[in-house]
Amino acid sequence: MSLDVTAASVFVALFLFVTWVGFIAARWRKADLNLLHEWGLGGRRFGTVVTWFLLGGDLYTAYTFIAVPALVYGVGAMGFFAVPYTIMIYPILFLVFPRLWAIARERGHVTAADYIRDRFDSRLLALAVALTGLLATMPYIALQLVGMEVVIGALGFPAGGFTGHLPLIIAFIILAAFTYTSGLRAPALIAVVKDLLIFITIFAAIVIIPAKLGGYGAIFASVPKEKLLLASPSGDTLGSYSAFFTLALGSAMALFLYPHSMTGILSASSGKVIRRNAAALSAYSFVLGLIALLGYMAIAAGVGQNPIYAAGFEQFGANFAVPALFLDMFPSWFVGVAFAAIAIGALVPAAIMSIACANLFTRNLYKEYWRPDCTDAEEARMAKIVSLVVKVGAVLFILAIPQAYAIQLQLLGGIWIIQLLPPILLGLFTRSVNAHALLLGWAVGTALGTYMAATRGFVSSIYPLEILGVTLPGYAALYSVIVNFLVAAALSPVFDRLWPRTGALDRASNRR
Amino acid sequence: MAGEGKKSRFLRHWPRFLLIIPFLLVVYVPFYNRIEPTLGGIPFFYWYQLAAILLGAAVVVVVYLLETRVTRTTEGATEEIDSSGTPGDIL
Repeated sequence: MSLDVTAASVFVALFLFVTWVGFIAARWRKADLNLLHEWGLGGRRFGTVVTWFLLGGDLYTAYTFIAVPALVYGVGAMGFFAVPYTIMIYPILFLVFPRLWAIARERGHVTAADYIRDRFDSRLLALAVALTGLLATMPYIALQLVGMEVVIGALGFPAGGFTGHLPLIIAFIILAAFTYTSGLRAPALIAVVKDLLIFITIFAAIVIIPAKLGGYGAIFASVPKEKLLLASPSGDTLGSYSAFFTLALGSAMALFLYPHSMTGILSASSGKVIRRNAAALSAYSFVLGLIALLGYMAIAAGVGQNPIYAAGFEQFGANFAVPALFLDMFPSWFVGVAFAAIAIGALVPAAIMSIACANLFTRNLYKEYWRPDCTDAEEARMAKIVSLVVKVGAVLFILAIPQAYAIQLQLLGGIWIIQLLPPILLGLFTRSVNAHALLLGWAVGTALGTYMAATRGFVSSIYPLEILGVTLPGYAALYSVIVNFLVAAALSPVFDRLWPRTGALDRASNRR
Repeated sequence: MAGEGKKSRFLRHWPRFLLIIPFLLVVYVPFYNRIEPTLGGIPFFYWYQLAAILLGAAVVVVVYLLETRVTRTTEGATEEIDSSGTPGDIL
């Protein structure tokens, strides 16, 4: 592939524009950015509209736009699990998180681990929550780079070697700089640009591409029959049915436990803002459903057989399906717009994730274990530095380690992060639950989930669970968190009997 | 706030039980794992799930509106309580 000058120029121009937006964001709703809740949570002042853009930009990442259609392109119907997944996340958001927001605001919590520390007065449990969050988010940031790398490669920038990685490194230096100066305000403002570009791109795609391919009927007719539907189970197994649903449900339960989702939620200005967004964010789900269909459009357009794109598919695999489709269907200048949308779609979540990691590290490791009485300014400065370190780490990760490892680690990340559900849910909605029992449940769930993924060689998170002779292939995260819940619930009364509480335990309980 | 709290909490938050609907829409996979009826050439599996997104969003909107109204009419329910979003112990 040679460099597409028109597309690359549009791409670079849009990228420079959002860089400028990222830096002026520091002056938006001006406040003292030397306070962690101002830098790392935007002062908890984002209203309904800004939160909509921020959470949309945060949750529907570049990797989603590349990987979901790539999955549909590769395996067909199973890739559509992303749709029931996004249907189920909003009731959960509506029910659980306004309450967490209210408590966090009242008690000044910046991270989920802050809440756990305060609620259960347990340093160990808070440490487990903080470390889980950090470990699950790091590979997620690295994957954003994968999404960016695919579109940069598709623009025809030379691949391989140091020069091949140069555009990516430049993009990340820019990202690191504006995150450092502007904090959460930068991704919030850039998310507005990103989402407008994504919406324009997708609506153009779902109108123009089917028109060129002879309509949706023709697109679906060109998809191999065995890809169109989930394979019907036979014999003593629920086959792909249970896999499909548990994957969707488990992913939905895990989503808002990720530190970057938590950061987005806690930066809202009220519980009402969160509840309104539980309805309004569905617009993104719908767009995601349409994006998933791009996988079939790529099949119908035959980009996989087109020799022009052979090199791209060889380098990036199925992840190249969507970029190839855009190159095939759109004029050069619009390819630039579409690819910029995807690349900026990587910047926004990567910025929020690094801020979330920085908040976690500073609040729950640095301040908790090294400098208990550090000043507010020192706390904020530390967070800014950590946000840089996290991004350097992500870049090194992607340059030094095969991409497959990042994907496998992200898969494990989903299994690890869901283990935070019992402490947070039971903390919010029950009066008495024992911190030691929760910690043990967390340890058992994490170990079991990791073991389940290990039995599949870390390439799949679907574990074939056998109950009474029936095989239920399902998401390891869901199975392991159920065990986590059971352990916590069963041991809680036992531990309470063994070590009676000493007052302070329920400091931030739900009694209001 | 134990006794009188429980009752008014339930009154204020009964619409939340409607939030089970989005889950019910997608839980029984065999129901929508089919080609027919197609819609403009799109198999049922795909257009049904896209439609379920809209239905799910509609349910959340209805719950939000109902709850705002119930909160307004429930005696003693102040804006402060509303903003806390407490569904009590009903989960």
